[in-house]
Amino acid sequence: MSSTRIIDCDVHPYPKNRDEIRFYLKEPWKTRYTGSGRGFYGNPVHGSRLDANPPGGGPAGSDPIFLREQLIDEYGEKHAVLLPRAFCNLLPDPDFAAAIAAAYNDWLADTWLGKFNEDGVFKGSITIAHQDPSAAAKEIERWAGHPHFVQVMTDSGARAPFGQRQYYPIYEACSKYGLPLAIHPGTDGMGINVQPTPGYPTHYIEWHTCLSLGFQAHLVSFITEGVFERFPDFRVVLVEGGVSWLPALLWRLDAEYKALRYEVPWLKRKPSEYVRDHVRITSQPLERPEHDRHLLQVLEMMDAEHILMFSSDYPHWDFDSPRLAFPKLPEPLKQRIFYENAKAFYRL
Amino acid sequence: MGRHVVCRVKDMMEGSRKIVVLEGRSIGIFHVKGEFYALKNSCPHQAAPLCVGTVTGMTLPSGPGEYLYGRDGEIVRCPWHGWEFDLLSGKSIYDPHRCLVKTYDVEVEKAEAESVSVETFAVQVEEEQVVVYI
Repeated sequence: MSSTRIIDCDVHPYPKNRDEIRFYLKEPWKTRYTGSGRGFYGNPVHGSRLDANPPGGGPAGSDPIFLREQLIDEYGEKHAVLLPRAFCNLLPDPDFAAAIAAAYNDWLADTWLGKFNEDGVFKGSITIAHQDPSAAAKEIERWAGHPHFVQVMTDSGARAPFGQRQYYPIYEACSKYGLPLAIHPGTDGMGINVQPTPGYPTHYIEWHTCLSLGFQAHLVSFITEGVFERFPDFRVVLVEGGVSWLPALLWRLDAEYKALRYEVPWLKRKPSEYVRDHVRITSQPLERPEHDRHLLQVLEMMDAEHILMFSSDYPHWDFDSPRLAFPKLPEPLKQRIFYENAKAFYRL
Repeated sequence: MGRHVVCRVKDMMEGSRKIVVLEGRSIGIFHVKGEFYALKNSCPHQAAPLCVGTVTGMTLPSGPGEYLYGRDGEIVRCPWHGWEFDLLSGKSIYDPHRCLVKTYDVEVEKAEAESVSVETFAVQVEEEQVVVYI
C-alpha cells in the first residue's frame, strides 16, 4: 500500500466550537447562530470514529495536527479534500444561510487552508447556500482565486432536482472559475428540503441507505435538463452518494432515451456518455458484496477507471480505510482510483 | 504459547479493560462480571482498534416493533463502524460464524512473589493476577 499515492476526496474538518464560526459572522446572525447540526436521523451508535477524538479535546476532526497523524501520515495521503459540514442548506432564510456559508469559508481559509497548510496537503471546498443561487455565485467568485479551494460544495438535500434552471447561476460561476460542484449527503428531508424517499423513513439505517436515491435523481436531472450542454465546462462530483448503483441507472436512462429523445432534444449524445466528461464519484461508503469479483465487475461496468476517486470520509463512523476498503485491484486501476483521477479532476 | 502476566486482579475493576501489547500483538483484556476475556485489538472488518470501542449491551432478537435490551457489559462495539462483538466469545452479533475476532485464553492465577533479594523474608501469597496465554 505504501507505494500507492493517495488523494482522499472526502475529509471533514470541524470547528473546535461554534465560536470559531461565530467569529466570522456579523449581527444579526452572530447571536442567532447556534451551530446546530442537521436535527434528526442521528446515528444511534456513534457519529464519528471514537478513536478520532483529539487527545487535546474538541470534536473529532477539529484538530489539524491530530488529523494529520491519524489520517495523512498514517496512510501517506498526498492531499485531503476538505468538506466542512455547515448544514446551512436546510434553513428557510437564505440570508442567514448565505452568512453561515461565508463564515465557514472564512474559517476554513484562515485555519485548515491557511495556518495549518504550509505544505498544501489540504484542499478545500467552498460552502454555498443553494437557497439563493445568485448569492451562492457571488460567494464562489469571492474565493475563486484562492490557491487551495478546489471545488464548490452543497448538500444533496434540496427542494428541486439540481438540473433545474433556478440553480444555473451556481453552475455558471463554477464553469467560469473552473471549479467542480461537489454534492455531499446532508440535510436531505430537513428544514426546507424534501426527502428523496416517499415520506420520512423511520430509522437511521433506512435514511442512511437511501441517501443514494437523492444522488440518482440529481444526476438524471443534470443530464436530462441539458446542464452539461448548456455549461460545457461544468463538472460534478458525487461524494458519499454510493457507487455501484451507477451502471444500472445509466442503462435504464439510455434505454428510456431511445424512445423519449423527443422530450430532451438538446442531448447530443446518449445520456450515459456525459458522465466521463463531467462527473466523478467518490468511493466511500464502498459497497462490498459477498464476492469481490462482483464488485470488480461493477467497477468495470461503471468505468471506475475514469470516474471513481478514493475517499475515506474521515472522521465519520463509516470511515473507509485506504488499506482495506477495496478488494485487491489491478495496479493500474488502483493508481487511477486512489490518485490519478482526482489529480486530473482537481488539477493538482 | 506464551504466558504473560498482565496485572493484579485488584487493578482491573469489573467493567474495565486493559489494552496491552504481547509478543507484538495488541490485545484487549476485559473484566466482565467476574470473568476475564482477551480479544485481538483489531476488527476483522477494516482492522480498526476494536478493543477501544464502547462496552455496552445490545438489543436482543425480538419480534418486529419490540425492543428487548440485554447483555449489558458483554458487548464491545467497534469504534469505527459500530459492529457488535460478544466479549465472551469474540463472535460478531450479526454473523457469529463468519465474522469473529481472535480470542485468547485468560486465567486467574496465584501471584508469584514479586522480587527476590539477598535477604529473604517470609512471603505470603495474598492476591491473584491475570494471565493471558497466546
